[in-house]
Amino acid sequence: MSIPDYHHSLTGPFWQGAAQHELRLSWCRPCAQAIWYPQAACPHCGAALHWHVLSGDALLITWSEVAAGLNPHFSEAYISALVSPVEAPTVRLVTRMVQCAAQDLRCDMPVTVRFEKLQQLHGEPYVAPCFTVPQG
Amino acid sequence: MLGQLSRRSLADLARAAPTPRWGATLPLDDIAGELAITGIGETAVTGPSGRTPRAMALDAVAAAIADAGLRPADIDGLMVSGHIAEQIGPDDFHTHFGTQHPLWFSTEGGAMIWAATCAHRAAQAMRKGIATHIVNVFAVDWASRRAAGTGAPGDWHAGEELKAQLEVPLGWLPQPVYFATFARRYMHAYGLTETQLATLPLTFRRHANEHPQAVMRNRELTLERYLASKPLASPLRKEDCCLISDGAAAWVMSPAERARYMPQVPAIVDGVGHGCVQGAPYISQQQELTATPQVFAAPWAFAMANTSPAEVDVIAVYDCFSSTALMQIEDLGFCRKGDGGSFIQDDRLHYSRPRQRGGIPCNTHGGLLSHGYLLGASHIVELVKQLRGTAANQVQAAERAVYAGFTADEASTLVLSRGAQ
Ligand SMILES: [Zn+2]
Repeated sequence: MSIPDYHHSLTGPFWQGAAQHELRLSWCRPCAQAIWYPQAACPHCGAALHWHVLSGDALLITWSEVAAGLNPHFSEAYISALVSPVEAPTVRLVTRMVQCAAQDLRCDMPVTVRFEKLQQLHGEPYVAPCFTVPQG
Repeated sequence: MLGQLSRRSLADLARAAPTPRWGATLPLDDIAGELAITGIGETAVTGPSGRTPRAMALDAVAAAIADAGLRPADIDGLMVSGHIAEQIGPDDFHTHFGTQHPLWFSTEGGAMIWAATCAHRAAQAMRKGIATHIVNVFAVDWASRRAAGTGAPGDWHAGEELKAQLEVPLGWLPQPVYFATFARRYMHAYGLTETQLATLPLTFRRHANEHPQAVMRNRELTLERYLASKPLASPLRKEDCCLISDGAAAWVMSPAERARYMPQVPAIVDGVGHGCVQGAPYISQQQELTATPQVFAAPWAFAMANTSPAEVDVIAVYDCFSSTALMQIEDLGFCRKGDGGSFIQDDRLHYSRPRQRGGIPCNTHGGLLSHGYLLGASHIVELVKQLRGTAANQVQAAERAVYAGFTADEASTLVLSRGAQ
């Protein structure tokens, strides 16, 4: 089990953002791009990174329906997914598809962020940036 | 379809203009023809055995030394995995065999990608005169650990700091989830069907059914039963995922000029390749989801060996998942990218269809899916048997064999050929 650490020097702000219903990525201003996963400094120019709030619109790169019991950290079945935020097309955000059925999903479809409370076995709940299929 | 990759020299590859790529080839020294696999040894591959990796490793090492016609005191190099716990060291070797001579030791051996690259490292040691007969060994007790609840193959992934913070809380674990998402993307890109994907586990199972040491030797699998089972992580079913096993395998590597005077038909090391993904180890960030870093490893190995896929008789591909094996068959150059699903039909991977009839027999022992999960070490032992002509599912006139190793963010290739004696 790994519960998000809100005070982790590299990843804490990601989860603090999620708690405020903000999708944030670590970003280099001089390079004008996301640096993902977060690092201590930009690997291209050495600049300090900051956290950039995204729109929450993304493309569904791929997904998998995970049967209950396969992942020992969660009791329920769920849809694991990789999405690319429209502002950062080379980033693969590890997430879940929620409030939708697997048969309605296809690769490259537009999806949008939806903050959901997740809870692992024997852990406290936390708000996570999940994604869903936009209505209409 | 075969022979997409024409012969290219290492110099051609080294000169190739850099293009935007999602990974890179590690430029290995040319060691073609310098060494051979001269002895093989293995324990039973089983479910929970209660045996320690060290005890199994020493059994496999003893068997490999005897097979090579050597004595323990003749072995002056030992290679093991530096990534899997409880492998043996020189002290274990000496205590077990009652020896005390100098023993060169390297943790750049074992299985996975190292099952191929250990030959390159061994050649370097031989060139410097540090060692002559080097044994590489790999042992694992994950079946016992799983039964006891004391460990699993996903432990490293769950413990890595950024994965623990950014992947595990969202449920991107265990490894079948990683490769299921890649397989889904591949299906979208190339139209692979579940029935086509099933060809890999079904063929490997048929090999295991005729292989007396395979874990799944008595378990038959039909397409109907495969399709009727519910995916674990769609589109992957249980039969698309590797077994979890206990066991060990070892092999002795010797200078090629000595190998011709040793008891076994030598398996000459003709080529080695090593490729890796940029941004490793976070394969969630891999930009190309429908290929493996085998595309960066295989061309180097084929060039070193001065050969091409069209001249290969039998392959053993790291099949942690069926879809990973399929992608590697393409990435090795046996067919065009995306054609794999149709390429593997009509028993093309079955041992009964040799190269002369358009086949490319693959994982003739049953692979990680149906023989056992020794992380590729058994793949090497099987290929050596094929080149000797002693395999359970013997491929007709097997003269050249290729191993494709894989470790998610890295891949390796080993080209072997039947040597003169
Ligand atoms: Zn920068």
